[in-house]
Amino acid sequence: MSLIPNTATLLVTILTMAAIALVGINRSKSGAWTPTIRRLAGLDAIEEAVGRATEMGSPVHYSPGIGAATDDSAPQTFAGLEVLGYVTQLTAKYNTEIIVTIRQPNVFPLAQEIVRQGYMTAGRPDMFQEDTVQFLSNEQFAYAAGVMGIMNRRHVAANIMMGAFWAESLLFAEAGAQVGAIQVAGTAAMGQIPFFVAACDYTLIGEELYAAGAYLSQDRVKLGSIAAQDIVKGIAMVLIFVGSLLATAEIDFLANLLKK
Amino acid sequence: MRREVPLIITFVVGVIVLFANMFEGPLQAWSSELTGWLIIVSAFAVGLASVNLFRIHGTALMRMRPGWFNSLALIVALIVFAVIGTMARLGGDEKINNLNQNLYDSIIGPLGAAMFAMLAFYVASAAYRAFRMRSAEATVMLIAAILTMIGKAPIGELIWNKFPVIAEWLIDIPNTAGQRAIMIGAAIGAFATSLRILLGLERGHLGGAE
Repeated sequence: MSLIPNTATLLVTILTMAAIALVGINRSKSGAWTPTIRRLAGLDAIEEAVGRATEMGSPVHYSPGIGAATDDSAPQTFAGLEVLGYVTQLTAKYNTEIIVTIRQPNVFPLAQEIVRQGYMTAGRPDMFQEDTVQFLSNEQFAYAAGVMGIMNRRHVAANIMMGAFWAESLLFAEAGAQVGAIQVAGTAAMGQIPFFVAACDYTLIGEELYAAGAYLSQDRVKLGSIAAQDIVKGIAMVLIFVGSLLATAEIDFLANLLKK
Repeated sequence: MRREVPLIITFVVGVIVLFANMFEGPLQAWSSELTGWLIIVSAFAVGLASVNLFRIHGTALMRMRPGWFNSLALIVALIVFAVIGTMARLGGDEKINNLNQNLYDSIIGPLGAAMFAMLAFYVASAAYRAFRMRSAEATVMLIAAILTMIGKAPIGELIWNKFPVIAEWLIDIPNTAGQRAIMIGAAIGAFATSLRILLGLERGHLGGAE
């Protein structure tokens, strides 16, 4: 086995990031380090949204995005599924209906299992119905039409969208706004963040989505990896700063090194 | 075992596919083979999802729930598309192939375009709500948006020739800096999430308690 040309930096970066993450996770797990995450208003608002739906007697709509579990948007999808488990348990606690709509066939069994297990953990397996998790269509705009129809017909009181979204993001957010739903969204899709910020009550921006699982569960393993993320981010900031200075001085050593 | 087996499969497959991008040799062949398996597994997932569609809408139809006619339309469309699509795939004649193509071009295409076109109206209504001066941040956003819109519109340059320069500066400097910050943070977050999944430290997607 030989290294493919121009992938050395990628390999070193992956191994370094993995090492930092593992050290962070181990230190947090052993109790040597207790990382904390700053308050995320969007995640705190989820309980308020479910509570409002309970008071109104209307369902909560949840979408884990339209990304698959197998492509480059998968981390966002999994982050969305993490939040789904938490929302399901909240709806079980408040005895409120949740409607989970799915676009990707390979996300459907995962979402179904998460909701079923969430209800079981909350001691309410009876709340899981056949139409709790609904596959609508794997055509992007057919799925969007289905979601908008459900929001309007069922008058959802809370609309929670966490995952990878594309052009349908604004369609969902505006449909939710029209029915007066409290809306919490989160995505790392750069192009859709402005739409969510403009149309939703709360938005998790970029990495906040990935921190959601750790924030909600306060699990030490996840907290450790989130703190390690910040260390890697610090290294990236130093590299950007040093790289900018070197580029200004017309020294291309760092730029050439990173291309290797 | 119900949890361990998926975790082992995730780790082994993840490591092979990850390192196949960096090393020449058998890893690339294994990665390619695994991609083929993925298509087969995905096909089963489509079947599972279709069964869910049939059950939900079949029940709605049988019990004549409100909006049952929508369920009927969906089931009829599902069957028609599936039958004609399969016939075309199995080497149907020209008529079947044309019919299959026309179903897409004349039904799915225009419907998708109609949904996409709605975005234009929704952008206006979302912008109206976002640009109300409720806070200092919203005011900054409003001013930046107005300057960018004027700078990008042909009339902007006629009013004052510095408007396009200001618009370009807003897009190239503060906007790009903000976007890059979010992108770098999100990329590192995606890596950490992937690593947790690969190592089996994040199991929320398997359902139940961690």
